[in-house]
Amino acid sequence: MKVNPVLLEVFKNRFSSISEEMGVTLNRTAFSPNIKERRDFSCAVFDKNGEMVAQAAHIPVHLGSMPMSVKAVIENTSFSQGDMVMLNDPFKGGTHLPDITVVAPVFIRQDDDTPFFFVANRAHHSDVGGMSSGSMPLSSSIFQEGIIIPPLKIVKNGKIDDQIMNFLLNNVRTPVEREGDFAAQIMANITGVKRIRELADKYTPETVDFYANRLIDYSEKITRKTIQKIPDGLYGFEDIMEDDGHENENIKIKVGILVQGDQVTIDFSKSDSQVQGSINAVYAITLSSVLYVFRSLIKENIPTNAGCFKPIQLKTLKGTVVDAEFPAAVAGGNVETSQRIVDTLFGALAKALPDSVPAAGQGTMNNIAIGGIDKRNKEPFTYYETIGGGMGATADNHGESAVHSHMTNTLNTPVEALEYTYPFIVTQYSIRKASGGKGFFNGGNGIVREIKLISDAEVTVLSERRTHPPYGLFGGKPGKTGRNILIKNGICEKKPGKFYEKLKADDVIRIETPGGGGFTVR
Amino acid sequence: MILIGIDTGGTFTDFIYKDGDKWGVYKILSTPSNPAEAVLSGIKHIAGTQDVQVVHGSTVATNAVLERKGAITALITNKGFEDVIEIGRQNRKEIYNLSYQKSPSLVPANMRFGIDCRINSYGDSLQDPDEAEIEKLLIKLQKNGAESIAVSFLFSFKNPTHEKKVGKILSKLDIPVSLSHEIVSEFREYERTSTTVTNAYVSPKMTQYLSSITQESGNDNLRIMQSNGGSISAQTAMRESVRTILSGPAGGVVGAYQIGKIAGYDKLITFDMGGTSTDVALIDSGLSFTLDARIADYPVMVPMIDIHTVGAGGGSIAGIDSGGSLRVGPESAGADPGPVCYGKGENITVTDANLFLGRLIPENFLGGKMKLYPDKLGIYLKKMAKGTGLTEVELAEGILSVADTAMEKALRVISVERGLDPGEFTLFSFGGAGGMHAVFLARLLNIPKVFIPKNPGILSAIGMLTADIVKDYSQTVMLDQHTGNFENILKLFVPLEKRGIDELAYEGIDTAEMVMERHLDMRYQGQSYEIMVPFGGDADNFIEKFHNLHEKKYGYCNREKRVEIVNIRLRAKGFAEKPKFTKSKIVSQKLSTDAVMGEREVVFDGRSHKTKIISRDKLKSGNIIKGPSLLIEYSSTLVVPPFALGKVDEYGNLIISV
Repeated sequence: MKVNPVLLEVFKNRFSSISEEMGVTLNRTAFSPNIKERRDFSCAVFDKNGEMVAQAAHIPVHLGSMPMSVKAVIENTSFSQGDMVMLNDPFKGGTHLPDITVVAPVFIRQDDDTPFFFVANRAHHSDVGGMSSGSMPLSSSIFQEGIIIPPLKIVKNGKIDDQIMNFLLNNVRTPVEREGDFAAQIMANITGVKRIRELADKYTPETVDFYANRLIDYSEKITRKTIQKIPDGLYGFEDIMEDDGHENENIKIKVGILVQGDQVTIDFSKSDSQVQGSINAVYAITLSSVLYVFRSLIKENIPTNAGCFKPIQLKTLKGTVVDAEFPAAVAGGNVETSQRIVDTLFGALAKALPDSVPAAGQGTMNNIAIGGIDKRNKEPFTYYETIGGGMGATADNHGESAVHSHMTNTLNTPVEALEYTYPFIVTQYSIRKASGGKGFFNGGNGIVREIKLISDAEVTVLSERRTHPPYGLFGGKPGKTGRNILIKNGICEKKPGKFYEKLKADDVIRIETPGGGGFTVR
Repeated sequence: MILIGIDTGGTFTDFIYKDGDKWGVYKILSTPSNPAEAVLSGIKHIAGTQDVQVVHGSTVATNAVLERKGAITALITNKGFEDVIEIGRQNRKEIYNLSYQKSPSLVPANMRFGIDCRINSYGDSLQDPDEAEIEKLLIKLQKNGAESIAVSFLFSFKNPTHEKKVGKILSKLDIPVSLSHEIVSEFREYERTSTTVTNAYVSPKMTQYLSSITQESGNDNLRIMQSNGGSISAQTAMRESVRTILSGPAGGVVGAYQIGKIAGYDKLITFDMGGTSTDVALIDSGLSFTLDARIADYPVMVPMIDIHTVGAGGGSIAGIDSGGSLRVGPESAGADPGPVCYGKGENITVTDANLFLGRLIPENFLGGKMKLYPDKLGIYLKKMAKGTGLTEVELAEGILSVADTAMEKALRVISVERGLDPGEFTLFSFGGAGGMHAVFLARLLNIPKVFIPKNPGILSAIGMLTADIVKDYSQTVMLDQHTGNFENILKLFVPLEKRGIDELAYEGIDTAEMVMERHLDMRYQGQSYEIMVPFGGDADNFIEKFHNLHEKKYGYCNREKRVEIVNIRLRAKGFAEKPKFTKSKIVSQKLSTDAVMGEREVVFDGRSHKTKIISRDKLKSGNIIKGPSLLIEYSSTLVVPPFALGKVDEYGNLIISV
């Protein structure tokens, strides 16, 4: 077969529409506000070898980790028609336990024994058990973080396995919500399977497979062209994670980026060893962060697929904070360490591409989980949310204020939706004035979010950039560090970046998120 | 009395009128710097000094937002929530854009003011607003030059007393005040505030515009089209201008709905392909509405006809990208320099590809008034084809299929993604470039028939003239299925119905002509998207209706789960007189000899076909048009490919079987 530029474009559109339609289905049918209101999920299409063909632009941190999950599933499963496999094990392609992936094979003919394609989606569940509500604990081992799901067949021959489902639901705090979200994830895959089959019917399976692979070549070609424009050389940078919520502080992440022609080798092996607390990132997260950085340097609108990975070689050392080994605690690696990995990559690349790279963004997701029993109806609740902040300034403009940056892009929960659902009163939600670093272009400002409890509850906060501010570039000032404050009986108490505490009704949690770094001087 | 429908477009202002039994059409150039000029001169031309009733689709509100030329607007919120309008939903629209910037808020930070007051989710006041504080604010507002004010407090839809109190004091300033619970009485503070702010931002412009029309025409019988497909009085439109945003495209869809219904087609997908973009909408025995509409990125939470737009049109530029893929759009050549065939352009567009394949006839373009340069196309296409392995003809056909793929995607969004099979619908095509693509697009989606109305150019004006008078009301109630029993809900509708009846009476509708349509927005507890469920006379089954609709829309339902009633929704309608189109007799299948203007070579599927050129004006009811044929109209060309067969129905519409 010869590549026809017309069909190449037609398939580019069709594959992206399929992953987007899966996302629409998942979003519309999911139960939890975390998925529906915040859209913390991703959907993608894979070829028979588990090579990613297209991913809907949802959440960057799922970029590299989805393919690893799918490959782990393919290696461990023999599929039949109508099966689906679920997993969240961070050491088998997952990222952290709340992110649950569901993979479905696509068979074309009744008697095919191997799948023709795969579709998959990943969604963040607001509770998967473990030591604290919301399953984002200050843990010291994976066993405290919730239920670990190795690749297992949740759907067999088109039917949900009730025994497995019951087992899972018995291990989480909010089973009704989980069940609804699982159903939505399954529906999204059913939609994807149907659409891939229709495509194969229309164009023949061989043509679909051929163009899926040509689209991977296509993205590879454009990625290589982008890398080619980076001056050859070795670029280094290091930054730190402030603490792990236990004893360890100033945990180093160090990168060396070697650019040679149209390929690049990224070496994180000099980073610090994994730590007791939950900020360890598994390899999949580091890979996602690397991909995000290079994908964002590509100006063309290309499918994000396996081709984008090919010119990039990633080196890590097992047992480090960027390639954690079992049974490390990893809840925060996905949300916090991923941001710092991005900061180190851009910090290094700034030397090679001063006009294309931003100063540091807020560099945290400000995870907040609150759980307990709602005294109004005596029912358990878990609330999980992340809060935006400032973006770093660039050579083109000021950093945007009050948005999520880099590895996440989740929506906020409307104050009115929050107060209807949870025993809270939100007492402030505003932009944190003058928190962006000054420069020729200023960093974006952070957010202030203040929540007053109506019921007693336990709160867990996982945040960073509370002592070491987001860096500015070329003389631009750093952004302001974030602050976590508890107000009890009118008395303010400053809390560290990571804390867990049991609170009483009328206590107030105030989170001030960091600003972004500034760019050059005026 | 003469009835006149007026649609202000970018280039032309279209008039359609009914004088007794006589229908007429009038078209003049728009006057963008002051659109009222064209409107007034048209009314004068048509009616002279006679009495008129005018229905008008205005772009004033839309343009005020798009061009950011609205009033200097202030926003008053609860203290600590002044920035909700700027934070939005805290996400970025482009995740890989490192220099991402949101659209700047219509109200800058120095025009946003917080007041110390609060209502909770039960509607209880936790803190009442202090009059002295508001009085102090009046001075600031005046000093800062506020021309219009939006007020949006948390949970005002549960308890509007704070907004009312503040609104009353603000009325001393004698400038327009928009209270959020009056504009949209629903939860989700960012979207409600954005809607209220948009209203405050555009209403002074709208008031000025409509006053000038009523004053200068000496006639106050003026009705304005809304984006929900109904009309309201000019008075209401001045107060609730946000309801007129995007009303132009809505007119086209209402027109399609009316024309289709008369001809016996009530399941339609409308397809309006223009130069830079294409609008599509779905009609499933009735119009489809959305509550997630946006204008220039700002959410507008009023019910709008669900119209989906893609950046692909006749002027979309084609090119081979650096990865070797053929791209079409979203960049457009516009009118200047325009496509290569206009003489000045250097980028091959969709229009060029159509011309190169013989599907456009240079001599007939815009009635022969505009000269085209087909000779240049070969050179540009050859240059583009180099290294692709395609011939120029294959490339030109390829450009069309890539453009069709973009439009197919748009049609899928409004059909397949909503759980509907496009194969059960008819593709209703209007707009300048649509006729060259409609049949091919229908084939891509297994749509069996394409409907091309008799007067596609004035469809929007027809829609306006025939639109019912419609008022939408809603109220967030947040009940579960136990507290939300039939009698309780019925009681909650009472104040809305009273308001509907009063306001329709104010619009001049007799009680006998009023229709009230009730809906509930329902969801399973914990979900955050609602389904609109009809709430009618039958006492007990709205819960069951919800389960069924949920199953239809999302493929499953769960009767064990608790159901919530989130909003109640009332649509109060007053019927407008509908035009009666007379059927003409079926004459003959055979075309009259003067209908055939000639023959030319046209490429379909890589082969050249002898293709008849037919004048659409000369077609009679019953005529059969075999593909391949080209049908020539003033503003468009219709392509009937070899695999299709057209038939003229009793109303002069062309129905093409694919």
